[in-house]
Amino acid sequence: MPKVKAKRQSVSLDMTAMCDVAFLLLTFFMLTAKFKPEEAVTIVPPSSISEKTISGEKGILTISVSPEGGIFLGTDDKAAKDYMLERMANRLSVPVSAEMKKNYDASEIVGYPAGAMRQVLSVKPSDAKAKGYLKGIPCDSANNELFLWVSYAKISNPGLKVAIKGDANSNYKVFNQVVGTLQEQNINTFQLVTSPEGRPQ
Amino acid sequence: MAEVSQDGGGKKGGKKRSKKASTKIDMTPMVDLGFLLITFFMLTTTLAKPVVMQLNMPDKTEKDDKSEVKMSETLTVMPDAEKVYYYQGLPTEASTQLQKTNYSKDGIRTVLFDYKRRIGDNFTIVIKATKGAKYKNMVDLLDECAITSNKRYAILEIDPDSEKLIKKSGL
Repeated sequence: MPKVKAKRQSVSLDMTAMCDVAFLLLTFFMLTAKFKPEEAVTIVPPSSISEKTISGEKGILTISVSPEGGIFLGTDDKAAKDYMLERMANRLSVPVSAEMKKNYDASEIVGYPAGAMRQVLSVKPSDAKAKGYLKGIPCDSANNELFLWVSYAKISNPGLKVAIKGDANSNYKVFNQVVGTLQEQNINTFQLVTSPEGRPQ
Repeated sequence: MAEVSQDGGGKKGGKKRSKKASTKIDMTPMVDLGFLLITFFMLTTTLAKPVVMQLNMPDKTEKDDKSEVKMSETLTVMPDAEKVYYYQGLPTEASTQLQKTNYSKDGIRTVLFDYKRRIGDNFTIVIKATKGAKYKNMVDLLDECAITSNKRYAILEIDPDSEKLIKKSGL
């Protein structure tokens, strides 16, 4: 009797369809991904059990507080950012050249006394950081420039939501000043940026 | 293919057949790479969104919308860099006793749970950060309020009376 041979099945399968799907998804994620902008100061936020993610459909104004107590301002609304520079330069009667505008656009944050604006914007953002020009925005009762920056941003886009990103080891006094400044402009709702941690049982 | 067959051929006038190369390529490494990149982009996009803690401060311009709080039902908590001071009631009264605890789960959290159980629904926490407090300490305390599910809390600036109380107690 002849042996019954099992039919051999091919082990290789057609992967074209799978490959198509994979690359379609890849393209989608690559196009939608936004890379984290390079920060001028390294800030380690404190942890909290909060699970809310940051919200602000009309734009977010982020106020960062560095460990040394420097205050930095950034926004994802391009129009508000441009308006802030325009008004601030106008106030100080600093002419803004194309070069300065380019450097301003390239940097994610504003973080210098207004008097140093010409000096800071005449160099590239990375150089300004290396040279230590980014000292933070003054925010005391004698010279409250943070108030001006925030009010200009609010004029340009009243729907801006304010997020405060403070370093865990920054002094509470600075945070208090920032909140006080914002409350003067009737901004009473803040989002404190924190890193997630597990909820204790 | 444009190859000349070397074997001369057995039959005369036989048609020359070009060798058929397989059109299938092994796509496994390509798919591997594709999925690796997908994983990377998926993880980076979701992780980039930070979490936030909502903080509502009272409106300074509104005068009439004030909620009454009995001082005996409040616990004033004063975070310092390493420790937390707390007292119940008014700082100026002689019977007010200042106590000290820490940020661990057996520290301030137990205290808050304890007072909440004793005082009930009107329990209010007043947070007055000392001059030496870090931002982290404030966030920790707000977090403790959330953990002990206390909705009634207020952030105030530290007053001289409370500072005097800390100094006098020597804790």
